[in-house]
Amino acid sequence: MVAREKLNQLKARFGPAIQRADLPADDRLYLFVEPAAMADICQCLFGELRARYVVGIGADDRPHSGSFLVAHNFAFDTDHLLGSVLTYLPADRPALPSIARHVPAANWSEREFRDLVGIEPVGHPFPKRLILPDGWPEDAHPLRKDQPWNEVPAGYDADREFAFDDPPEGCVVVPFGPFHPTLDEPAHFRLYVEGEVVRGCEYRGFMVHRGIEKLAESVLTYNDIPMAAERICGICGCVHNVAYAQAVERAATLHPPPRAEYIRTVMLELERLHSHLLWVGLACHIVGFDTLFMQSFRIREPVMWIAERISGNRKTYALCVIGGVRWDITPELKAELRQVLTQLETEWTAVTHAIESDRNLQQRMRGVGIADADLVRKWALLGPVARAAGVAIDSRRDHPYAAYDRVEFDVITASDGDVWSRVVVRALEVFQSIRIIRQCLDRLEPGPLQAEIHDELPIGRIGLSSVEAPRGESHHFVMTGENHRPRRWRVRAPTYQNLQGIPAMIKDQQLADMTITLGSIDPCFSCTDRLEAIDIRSGQLRVYSQEDLLKLAKDQWQ
Amino acid sequence: MLRALCQKMFGRSLWVYHANSGGCNGCDIEVLNVLTPYYDAERFGIRLVGSPRHADVMLCQGPAMRSTAKALRRAYDAMPAPKLVFAIGSCACGGGIWHDTYSVLGPVEKILPVNFYIPGCPPRPEAILYGVAVALGLVDKKVAPVKFKQLELPIPRYHPEALSGEGELVVYEKLEKV
Repeated sequence: MVAREKLNQLKARFGPAIQRADLPADDRLYLFVEPAAMADICQCLFGELRARYVVGIGADDRPHSGSFLVAHNFAFDTDHLLGSVLTYLPADRPALPSIARHVPAANWSEREFRDLVGIEPVGHPFPKRLILPDGWPEDAHPLRKDQPWNEVPAGYDADREFAFDDPPEGCVVVPFGPFHPTLDEPAHFRLYVEGEVVRGCEYRGFMVHRGIEKLAESVLTYNDIPMAAERICGICGCVHNVAYAQAVERAATLHPPPRAEYIRTVMLELERLHSHLLWVGLACHIVGFDTLFMQSFRIREPVMWIAERISGNRKTYALCVIGGVRWDITPELKAELRQVLTQLETEWTAVTHAIESDRNLQQRMRGVGIADADLVRKWALLGPVARAAGVAIDSRRDHPYAAYDRVEFDVITASDGDVWSRVVVRALEVFQSIRIIRQCLDRLEPGPLQAEIHDELPIGRIGLSSVEAPRGESHHFVMTGENHRPRRWRVRAPTYQNLQGIPAMIKDQQLADMTITLGSIDPCFSCTDRLEAIDIRSGQLRVYSQEDLLKLAKDQWQ
Repeated sequence: MLRALCQKMFGRSLWVYHANSGGCNGCDIEVLNVLTPYYDAERFGIRLVGSPRHADVMLCQGPAMRSTAKALRRAYDAMPAPKLVFAIGSCACGGGIWHDTYSVLGPVEKILPVNFYIPGCPPRPEAILYGVAVALGLVDKKVAPVKFKQLELPIPRYHPEALSGEGELVVYEKLEKV
């Protein structure tokens, strides 16, 4: 009983500050605490008990309890425990002490609920706007329940520009994005560059914030949301689809039938295959190795075709409903899938040999964009970025879901933490995915695809679900509600954490390495943004205007 | 007229720039797919370029967002005339499922003049190639638009047994052939 053990540890320490604790299962723990004790409890959890920070959630719970809700989720990976520390805040004064100074990884989460729900993290080290468009008035918060999903507040000013911080002295600003050849999606980095070396950056992203969570809370119903969740991201859509369905199933204690769990596992691994092949291709494209880009896309295409044969679409599989799946894998499809896997395995072996023996690639990628184990812990970095630094975290093994507890696979790790290690980790994970799919196909037992649901889902329950996306752990938090829709649904994509580590990874690197470093976390802005950034300050400011630059240039030539 | 203009102005070589103004990546990846060995758009002279200043055509993916509206407009203005805009995917064509949320402006035609629409979520690589080829006058248009009215959501809702009913589930009613 790990959950009870941790609860007893915290109870011994904080006693009456813990108002209530729910242990719905041995791998989940929900603590309701006093607002004043929140910061101390979080500090203890992440500092002394060495939990991994997952995400912070703010919710407007006024229609139900008359107060605001803040939750910080955490994970004990080796103990297979996911949990949440929740606290209710009075409606007239939604503020609580910030934990970002003690738990850096909470930085964006706190800024997010400040923007969207209007809960003030008091004492936040960098309380700047994160998500909403620049012209959005300060006092309008779209995720509050009294705001309709389609309302743009009266004070919205479409012409207002974002106020960037000033760069450190001696640095020139190099803007990067929002439309940049190596970025598929819009995001803006202001790089502070000294000579050819990047000294820091400011990030203004969240340009793909489409208000999906608001739509889910106000327009869609439980079984519509998986389809919307899939459109959070075009690459790892199935991950969000499954993670959302699992979170609701957790909250309502529903159990999908075993056949559905195996099919979910197969589709998730197919998605990992196509995503990893795509990423290796794009990474090679970024460093100018276009042959491998073309080759990996060629190898990837049969994976897309078999996905289309199974689900009817190349990418958005529309796989899950609450309590099951919608598509079956027939014996014919099984045979086809096995064939695709055999071909993929042969071809990918050839590609990995080519990558391993390519000296140019190694020179370009070794020692670049290093994230060591300390950085991984500080910013709660995830997925291949963490595993490349030797931190063996993998939700498939640590927080098993679907059929992952019934299949065998290895968690691939490397030790250097640089871009090269991430390439190696991803390249080898492809073989593990093939292994998992083969085991699932062997064990796929006959049975129904959907669990029967007779009653309405219970109201006010909490569900957490972590699914290992190709880029790291995707975490969904669901609080069930009235009218067949959740009260609050919060998605934390892996890039949300990994991007926060980018300023530290690119610091003191060559400017030319910026693109591959950013590429190496496989950034997925649409996931992250559904909903700016870290500053590294080293000194005073100096801004070059256009006139200054012209003058400088003229002085040089004279 | 547009077709004649296309053939005259762009000839066989079309340089495209792809701009994702706020989409989910799905269409992006399919556009990339079009350029890779199986679909190989370069055999039609279509080439992806890194800067709007080199481009004849802008491929827009994703809905028009409040935060990227100005940047997208600037990228469009940087393209030399004559220029074409293709809206690729349901979001760019019509705003997608989030067409009216607080941070979305709607379809990209709210920011840029769109010349051609390639719908789909995401459109298949063949569909993108076909759309571009139709625009260039390389193939004839073979489909006619048909209007539909949606009667019911085809997804089983909360009580699936109450919805399945007898016989076939009628989801769309054909309105007229345009």
